[in-house]
Amino acid sequence: MTPSVAFGTDIDERTEAVEQTSTDVLTAPDIPWNLVIWNDPVNLMSYVSYVFQSYFGYSESKAHKLMMEVHRKGRSIVAHGSKEQVEQHAVAMHGFGLWATVEKAASGNEAPGKGGRQRG
Amino acid sequence: MAKAFKYGLKGITGYLEPAERDLLRGLLDDVISMLESDARENEDPLAALIGLDMDVKQPSDRALLRLLPNVMKDDDGGSLEFRQLTERSVRENKIGALKATAMGLDKDDLVLTPEDAIHWSMALNDVRLVLAERLDIRDEADAEHIHSMQDWSQAEDVESYLALVYNFTTWLQESLVQSMMAARQAKS
Repeated sequence: MTPSVAFGTDIDERTEAVEQTSTDVLTAPDIPWNLVIWNDPVNLMSYVSYVFQSYFGYSESKAHKLMMEVHRKGRSIVAHGSKEQVEQHAVAMHGFGLWATVEKAASGNEAPGKGGRQRG
Repeated sequence: MAKAFKYGLKGITGYLEPAERDLLRGLLDDVISMLESDARENEDPLAALIGLDMDVKQPSDRALLRLLPNVMKDDDGGSLEFRQLTERSVRENKIGALKATAMGLDKDDLVLTPEDAIHWSMALNDVRLVLAERLDIRDEADAEHIHSMQDWSQAEDVESYLALVYNFTTWLQESLVQSMMAARQAKS
């Protein structure tokens, strides 16, 4: 992503621990699909964070954390749900110009947040 | 000179010179034509009515593919099926935001309602995505290189001109998003 000009100082210091990723807002244990946002060098960090706040209703800190995860790790699971739910989110994300894909939560990918049961 | 968007008593306001408005209008029109270009003429009217598009294909143009990406990483069939069901509405949504922004440029004062601001931020983002493909921005290092070109006296060829245009739209979108954040905080 492109760093925001006015982007602040407090880059979060969290470790790269696998547990500290993802979100559980839309999670139910039996729901098997993830919405993934991928990093790209164009989208503004501020814009990505704004979209996470305005579309998903995430808090500023949570949106920031997910945005930083996209930026640093290349991708982040930002929502869970049924296939239909995450596809609907993907349509909205493509509308905003974010690079979003959907995947089965148990597809065995090596990305952080696999399983998506962690506290967000 | 353009002024950055800011949030104040009147809402989100900005200022663009006539030449800057023309430039932006041209960019918006380019992206609109890209998104409209392969509209089919002899398609099934019923399918069109419910938003289906069975003839849709993955875009061959990289910029268009970035605007309308595959929804699954390793499943072309699944991605195509998703396109058939949704691509038309994504295109129409984008075209709507781009056209609303172009119309906003015809007004004397740039005073954006919250809805305008969302349209503008989406439209500027799509313009930047397309410019970035034309500029071959593939990674953060490319982006930094382009970003370092800030002096209009450097505009010697198409690429440097495009880079400066890209940086202008980046600056404009950034100030807009910061204003939208400020508006959001003021409301809460």
